Amino acid sequence: MRKRTAFDWACLGFIILFLCITVFPFVWIVITSFKTDADIHGAATYAIISSNATLENYISVIVEKGILTAIKNSFINAALTTVYVTITASMSAYMIARYKFKGRSILIIIILGVSMFPQMILIGPIFNMFYKLGWLNSYMITLPYGCITLPSAVWIMITHFKQVPASLEEAAKMDGCTPWQTLWQIVFPIAAPGIFASAILTFISAWNEYLLSLTLNSETAWMSVPVRIANLRDEYTIYWGQITAAAAIVTIPTLIIVLLFQKQIVSGIANGGVKE
Amino acid sequence: MVKRMTFKQFVFILPLLLFICVFSFYPIVTSFMYSLFDYRNNDQSYNSFYISEQFNGSLFQEDCKYINYFLSSDITLVEEADQKEIAAIQEEINVMMEQYAYITDTVKISDSQIAELREFGSNIRERIMAIYNSDKYADVAFYNAEKMPVILDNLDSTIVSSNFIGLRNYIALVKDVRFWKDLGHTIVFTVISVSFEFVLGFCLALIMNQSIKGIGMIRTLGLIPWAIPTVVSAMMWKYMYDGDFGVIAFLFHKIGFINKQAAMLMTPDGAMASAIMADIWKTTPYMALLLVAGLQVIDTGLYEAASIDGSGKISSFFRITLPLMKPSIMVALLFRTLDSFRVFDLLTVLTGGGPGNGTETLSIYSNKLIFSQSNYGYGSAVVIGMFVCVAIIAFIYIKVLGADIISSKTS
Repeated sequence: MRKRTAFDWACLGFIILFLCITVFPFVWIVITSFKTDADIHGAATYAIISSNATLENYISVIVEKGILTAIKNSFINAALTTVYVTITASMSAYMIARYKFKGRSILIIIILGVSMFPQMILIGPIFNMFYKLGWLNSYMITLPYGCITLPSAVWIMITHFKQVPASLEEAAKMDGCTPWQTLWQIVFPIAAPGIFASAILTFISAWNEYLLSLTLNSETAWMSVPVRIANLRDEYTIYWGQITAAAAIVTIPTLIIVLLFQKQIVSGIANGGVKE
Repeated sequence: MVKRMTFKQFVFILPLLLFICVFSFYPIVTSFMYSLFDYRNNDQSYNSFYISEQFNGSLFQEDCKYINYFLSSDITLVEEADQKEIAAIQEEINVMMEQYAYITDTVKISDSQIAELREFGSNIRERIMAIYNSDKYADVAFYNAEKMPVILDNLDSTIVSSNFIGLRNYIALVKDVRFWKDLGHTIVFTVISVSFEFVLGFCLALIMNQSIKGIGMIRTLGLIPWAIPTVVSAMMWKYMYDGDFGVIAFLFHKIGFINKQAAMLMTPDGAMASAIMADIWKTTPYMALLLVAGLQVIDTGLYEAASIDGSGKISSFFRITLPLMKPSIMVALLFRTLDSFRVFDLLTVLTGGGPGNGTETLSIYSNKLIFSQSNYGYGSAVVIGMFVCVAIIAFIYIKVLGADIISSKTS
């Protein structure tokens, strides 16, 4: 084994620093979430281990503030969005990857453009539309979520569908498969890892969405996790104990998703941006 | 292999097209339309789009009833000649009320009708006020001396003038100091955070690309800040920056970065720096992952060849890695720049645009205009301004810097 150079040590130092900085906020949030209000606002603010550790914050955020309702709302919204976005996106990505048609490059540019323009431009008209249709405070919010997540889902899937050998489809066609059957029975299983990757990213971005849910689902019973957490305050006080407890609770689902689907997420991110 | 498409295949992309039309094109076009009107949701003469003048029939009936009622209650206080005059005015009002009773909504009416209503309004105003303001009654306390002018003003507003103002919102936008300041904040935030994220992310990517033990764990940990909701991380940082109990603010104060603990969120510069640091924390790992994918495509044989030719690590970085990475770097920078330019969640939670609007970005400004002040028209003009900036940024990246994002998808 070769000797470690100063450069290697620098790399190691960089990585260690990176890990510490990445993890520190979470550690601090968890520590604070077990402190009493008196400790948070008193002398024990910076203590690492509180002498009178308590579960009070968790109990009040779950029982009084109903953070679980917000988690349920977010989960349903994100799941519905993921299902229909994945179906819609895979159908069109397949066509874009396989077929030539007039305006194909324009369509690709439009899809990319839609994913990049400021979302603020949508919010006024969509609010008015939802108001007139009586869709405020409902699961209808998943429809505009689609316009945020669809473009990147299509984008990632095009890359994956291009990797499916066309000869397989030819063979399927010879055997009398319709395009629909070819997509679902031949192409879909092969491109499944890519589709799965984009589904996970869709789920995460729908789960994290703030602007639309802040505007469209503003009743407490319909609030999503981000909106509910940002709302854990009144005019004069911010309830840091409850907020840190809530942050710790809602980080758990994300943590599970990341641990389980790390590979898919990384491949999704990579395929979203980089040309092969 | 690429095949021609028939109608059967077109059906597959139809749902996507529908979606883009309803939830992207329609709102963009509508926002642009809003920006051409003085459109406000909290004021009934501005909460709709009137290209031409309109007449509010129900308000007219209501106002006339009030005027008649006020006159009836004050009629006993005046001399006989004026009592006759008031009765005559009331008669005229009744005639007009009957004539326009068929209009119960806000509708367009003919120009001659508008002229007639205007004439009627100014005529009765003149005659009524002549009595109320007359020197003869200087000592008389009319019951409705104060209410009468108000209701007469309201009668004038039953003719709703057009709130189509063409490009006037845009002219106001160009002259709006707050807009330019906010654009400045947005640019400062975007440029500083994206450059830091790029440099740090690139270092991280180079390290992640080595086969070191435990690299999987580093990647997983790096994903968590990116994967949790921005709002949640903004709340976490807000707590840690807090002037009284924030651990980061406390540490920075102890080290001597800041002169008092409250400086993190209570001064505009401190708040901007805080927001940028939180953004770097959240997005650097994501940037690294975007770049790692580009690094993995580079043929390692190139490095071996370079080292045989006697080129050192640093020179092969500049001669091999950077040039070959250019496409992925450009794409990553383009995505991140545009993402950062529309920053909303992080700042609205962390600073709310404050202190003293010192960290207000264009997204926050337009959101305040549209939802806090209900000024949809001007707010939409700000949003369209942002849209133009985004188009300019994309143009610079794609045409000037040569970011190639679509060739791989169209080939």
